Amino acid sequence: MVKGRKSKRSVSNRRFGFYLALPAILVLLILLAIPAIITVFQSFFVVPADGVGIGTFTRVDNYLFLFKNEIFWATCLRSILFAGIFIIGSTVIGLAGALLLNEKFVGRIFLRGLLVLPWACPWLIVGIIWKWFLDGSIGLFNGVLLRLHLISDYKDFLSDPNWALLMTALASTWRQSCLVALLLLAGLQTLPRDIWDAASVDGAGIFQRFRHITLPWLRPALTVVTVLNVIYGLMQFDVIFAMTQGGPGSSTTLLSYLIYRQFFIFTNFGVGSALAVALAIIALVGGLITVKTLYRKIEL
Amino acid sequence: MKIVKKRRPLSRARIIRSSMIYSVAGCFVLWILFPIWYTISSSFTQPSKIGARPTPFWPANPTLDNYRIVLGIPVTDEDCVPGMEINCQNAPSNVSVNKIIDTMWNSFHVSSLVVIITLVISTIAAYSLSRYRFVGSNFFLNFTILSRIVPGLVLVAPIFIFLRVLNLLNTPWALIISYTSFTLPLAIIILKNYFDQISIDLEEAAALDGAGRMQTLRLIIMPVAVPGLIAAGVLVFLESWSEFFFALVLTDSYTVPPLLAGFLGLQTFNWTLLSAATVIAIIPPVLLTMVFQKYIVTALASGTGK
Repeated sequence: MVKGRKSKRSVSNRRFGFYLALPAILVLLILLAIPAIITVFQSFFVVPADGVGIGTFTRVDNYLFLFKNEIFWATCLRSILFAGIFIIGSTVIGLAGALLLNEKFVGRIFLRGLLVLPWACPWLIVGIIWKWFLDGSIGLFNGVLLRLHLISDYKDFLSDPNWALLMTALASTWRQSCLVALLLLAGLQTLPRDIWDAASVDGAGIFQRFRHITLPWLRPALTVVTVLNVIYGLMQFDVIFAMTQGGPGSSTTLLSYLIYRQFFIFTNFGVGSALAVALAIIALVGGLITVKTLYRKIEL
Repeated sequence: MKIVKKRRPLSRARIIRSSMIYSVAGCFVLWILFPIWYTISSSFTQPSKIGARPTPFWPANPTLDNYRIVLGIPVTDEDCVPGMEINCQNAPSNVSVNKIIDTMWNSFHVSSLVVIITLVISTIAAYSLSRYRFVGSNFFLNFTILSRIVPGLVLVAPIFIFLRVLNLLNTPWALIISYTSFTLPLAIIILKNYFDQISIDLEEAAALDGAGRMQTLRLIIMPVAVPGLIAAGVLVFLESWSEFFFALVLTDSYTVPPLLAGFLGLQTFNWTLLSAATVIAIIPPVLLTMVFQKYIVTALASGTGK
């Protein structure tokens, strides 16, 4: 009797839970799952330029086309290089910022407030700000370098293929490092002070304490932050669009930019979809590697 | 303890430490401020003075004309915008210039609607994921988390075609619909984390008092969840306000980011004007982030526990 009532209630609870989640499930099904499936599907087809209908099945020709194409591999490498600079830069600068803000000093509140500025900037605006900051004829960056006598004349970094990728990555790092700093700072502030003090009484130096207390403590936060960095690094589009449009030449053409061009300039939906799938796989692998390498060591 | 600490500033280590802190802090301030400062100072610079070398840190004879032109306020200054096709007297009638306020309204409308829709759907879904189990609930949660990794680029082509078939391209709905695809998972994850921290005792007490399940959610849980709702709402608003890619592809510069991107390519629109427009465009997100910083950081950081 009691059992029957209980299971009835749990059935009703289950149904209630399902109904609550149903709108979200439907929306995500229509807006996420189905489009994603269609994209995967289309990557095996030659899709007509208007994108309606699926066109002719070509097995893996779109992928073969990519794999045989030097541009594809060069772009992959460039994307990974960009993401690498971005991830390392954001994490290192962000960690330094968080450690700094965890100390007491005059102007700490001011600096904390400043961190919000880049973070609040939309990515596209980050690109606009840096494009002009680095500008080869009026940019302040050149003005500073000139005053420091590091350059003899203004240099247009964004039209130099050797510098453009680094500079776009730097601009993206500028925003992300602030977000990383704020998130890691939130993690640091939950670190119990007595552990730190006890270690210092035991004679652990500042670097030892950093390595054996702070870093392990921050590991969960670092994992999430790095996953975020991996995603933003591999998906970056806005900053590139604003700063270089993929140029000069193809020196800042990342996978995201290549996909945009395939879809909306060449309306080549088949190859575009194959590229999008490749990018998604790279992002998933990148995310997984991050979680595996960073997250496993938490127990230490 | 405290006395010992107070005496320590005399030690050499203490001096080294604080000089290190201040030099790192100085580097940080410069790193953050330089690009933004240049944008702000350019927005007050007269267009004819922008080419000075080495680029000045401070605008000579600062002017408000750039803001006047961008906002469509008549400019009386003689030396207003040399080389520009915009006649100073009828600057207000030049559509491409004073579009910024209208476009900010558009952005505001789109973002607010996305926030409302997202919050309504995500609150009940997150509550369900936090408190109830149903067939596939774990799969749904994992799908939601995973979807944060999948780029909009994977979804954009089918969504583009859906919207074209439905004749919704170039309407605010195109953006509201497509933005929901990434704001919804974000809000669900944040709110689920938040509901997980609320003790279940509250609901049990409410159930003992005879409150229905829906009543409990509305009257007991929602008031407690306000900080989580604020965090999710603000983050969703910021994401919608900042989104560029979908807005570029699905509309004709309906919101602020594609409008500014369009200005980049206009010969008649120089950097002093663009910088003024940029400063105006980042005021809302900066204010919003500053005011709600605590909520947002807590919400994002509590996600780091997972």
